[in-house]
Amino acid sequence: MTFGTIVFRGLVRRPVRTGLTVLGIALGIGAVVALVGLAAGYEKGIGGQIDAIGVDIIVSNMEGGLMPKAFDDTVPGEIAAMPGVAEVTSVLMQILSVEDAPMLMVYGREWGGFTWHNLSLVDGRFPLDESEPAVVLGTLAAGILRKKPGDPIQIEGMDFTVTGIVDGKSAIENGSVIMSLPRFQEATGYEGKVNFVDVRVPAGSPPEAVGVLCEAIEARYPKLRAVRAAEVVGTSQGFRLAKAMSWSTSLLAIAVGIFGVMNTMLMAVFERTHEIGILLALGWRKRRIVGLILCESAVLGLLGGIVGIGLGAGALAIIGATPSVRGLLVPDLSLPLAAGALAMALAVGILSGLYPAWRSSRLSPGTALQGG
Amino acid sequence: MGGRPLNPGEPPVFEAADLVKEYDDGRVPALRGISFTIRPSEFVSLLGPSGCGKTTLLNMLGLLDAPTGGSLRFRGTEMAEIRDPSDYRAREIGFIFQAFHLLPTFTVEENVQIPMFGQGVPRAARKARAGELLEAVGLAHRRNHLPVKLSGGERQRAAIARSLVNRPRVLLADEPTGNLDSRNSNQVLELLVRLQSDLHTTLILVTHDPDIARLAPRAIRIKDGLILSDGPYGEAAP
Repeated sequence: MTFGTIVFRGLVRRPVRTGLTVLGIALGIGAVVALVGLAAGYEKGIGGQIDAIGVDIIVSNMEGGLMPKAFDDTVPGEIAAMPGVAEVTSVLMQILSVEDAPMLMVYGREWGGFTWHNLSLVDGRFPLDESEPAVVLGTLAAGILRKKPGDPIQIEGMDFTVTGIVDGKSAIENGSVIMSLPRFQEATGYEGKVNFVDVRVPAGSPPEAVGVLCEAIEARYPKLRAVRAAEVVGTSQGFRLAKAMSWSTSLLAIAVGIFGVMNTMLMAVFERTHEIGILLALGWRKRRIVGLILCESAVLGLLGGIVGIGLGAGALAIIGATPSVRGLLVPDLSLPLAAGALAMALAVGILSGLYPAWRSSRLSPGTALQGG
Repeated sequence: MGGRPLNPGEPPVFEAADLVKEYDDGRVPALRGISFTIRPSEFVSLLGPSGCGKTTLLNMLGLLDAPTGGSLRFRGTEMAEIRDPSDYRAREIGFIFQAFHLLPTFTVEENVQIPMFGQGVPRAARKARAGELLEAVGLAHRRNHLPVKLSGGERQRAAIARSLVNRPRVLLADEPTGNLDSRNSNQVLELLVRLQSDLHTTLILVTHDPDIARLAPRAIRIKDGLILSDGPYGEAAP
C-alpha cells in the first residue's frame, strides 16, 4: 500500500459521485479543447493558405463585418502602380452553398495571377482561359461534392464544368472551389467588384517596407485595410470574436468544473470527518490530511482532463466531419493544446481542493473522532 | 514484537495535578480537579459510569483534547508544551476504541499499516511490521479481508494490532470490549493483558464494567468528574 492507494480508495468509495465529478470537469475541458481546437484550426488553415500562396499583404474592406465587403476592381491596378509593390492579384471570395454542401469557400481569381500558382493539378486540367465556365476543385472540396473532372456543377444558378482537381497545399485551399474572376463576378452579380487584393513586395524587402506600404495603401484608400499576411488572422474581427467566444465559454465551463470538484471534496471532507479524526488519532499530521484532500482533488482534475481531452478530440472529429465545416477549416488538436488542457484540469482540481483541505485542517481531532 | 525495555529510573508517564476540563464556557464541568500519577508499564483501569469524565481524561492523555485547568505532564513535560501533538500520538500513544474505528475501504493489513505512513517507514518494513502484529493477534489469515468481513472480536484484535504498530509507550483503550459479546470480550481482554505484560507498555483502560476493571492491578474510580478512589481494585470498589 502506498499513499496513492489511500488517495485511490478515497475516490472509489463513492464511485458514482466521483464519476459524475470527473464527467463535469471533462465536459469543461472538452469544451475548451473543442472550441480552442476549432479556433486553432481556423488560424492554422488561414496561415497555411497564406504560406501556400506566398502573399505579403492582404487588402480588404471588413468595415466592422465578419465577411469582406466588395470594392471596385480598379483598385488592384492602382495598388500595383504604387512604389514598393512587386505584384498584385485580385480575388473575389464568397462562402456559398454549393449543391449539397451547405458552406464552401468559392474563389474567383484574377486570371494568370499568382494565386493560381500554388495549385498543382491532381486530375484533369485548369480552365483554358478566363472566359471558360469552368472550375477547379480542391481535393477536399471534390470529396465533399463527390465531383470529378468532366462533371457539371451549379454555382449561384450558373452552370459550370469541373475541369480539374487541385492540391492547394493548405486545408483551406483544398476545401475551395476556384474559377476565374470574371466568371465568378458574373455568377454572383459582383461585376467589376473584388473583395481581396493580394500584394507581394519585392523579394528581400525589409519588414519595415511592408509596414510602410500598408500605411500608404490605407492612406490612399481609407475604407480599406492593408494587413501584413502574418497578422491577418490576429486582426480578423471574425477570428477575434470566435476566439473570445471560445475562451469565455471555456472559462464558464471551467468555473462550473471548479465548483463541481469543490462540492465533491467538501462533501468528502464532511462525510469523512470521523475518518479524519481516526487518522489524526493515529498520528497523522494535519498537513498530511491536507495533502490527501489536495491529491484526491488533483486526481479528479487530472482524470477529468484526460477524459475531457478525449471528449474534445471526439467533438472536433465530429465537427470537422460535418458538412457545414468540412472544407472551411480543419480542427486542430495539437500537443500544446492537449498539454495545456491537462494542466488546466490539474489546476482546477488543486484549486477546488484548497478550501475543503483548509476545512479539514481546522478539524479538532477529538471532535472529528466523534463525527464532527 | 519489539516492546520497550523496562527502566526503573524512568519518570512517571503521566502526572496530573488538579486537572480540570469544562465545556460550554464552564457551564458543563467534565473533570473537576483530579490528580494522579501513572508510572511506566503500569496497567490502570479508569472505572466509572457513562458521562463521568473518563473518556474526556483519556482524550487529554492522547492530546486529542486539552485541559481547561490544572497540570498534566507526560514524562516530566507539561503536555500543553508539546509542540507537535501528531508526533506525540504517532510515537508514544496507541489508541484502541470501543467502535474499533477501522477504515472500511482498507484491508486489515492496510489498516494496521496506516499509522506508519506519517513516520516515513519504508513500504517493505510497514508490511513486515503489520504481518508480525497480525500474527501476534491471531489475524494473519484475515490480513486481506475488509473490516466488514470480520467479526467484532476480530475487528478489535485488528485495532489492537494497529495500536501497537509504532511500539507506543502508552496504550489508551476506551471501552475496548463495549461492542463485543462475552466470548470475544474475554479473548480481547486476555490479548490486551498478555501484550501489556510482554511489551511492558503502559495500559490505561477505560471501562464502566467492574469485572473488567479488576483485571488491572490498579483502578481509578471516577464519578462526576472527581476521583472517588485510586488503588488496587478491591480497595477501589465500594
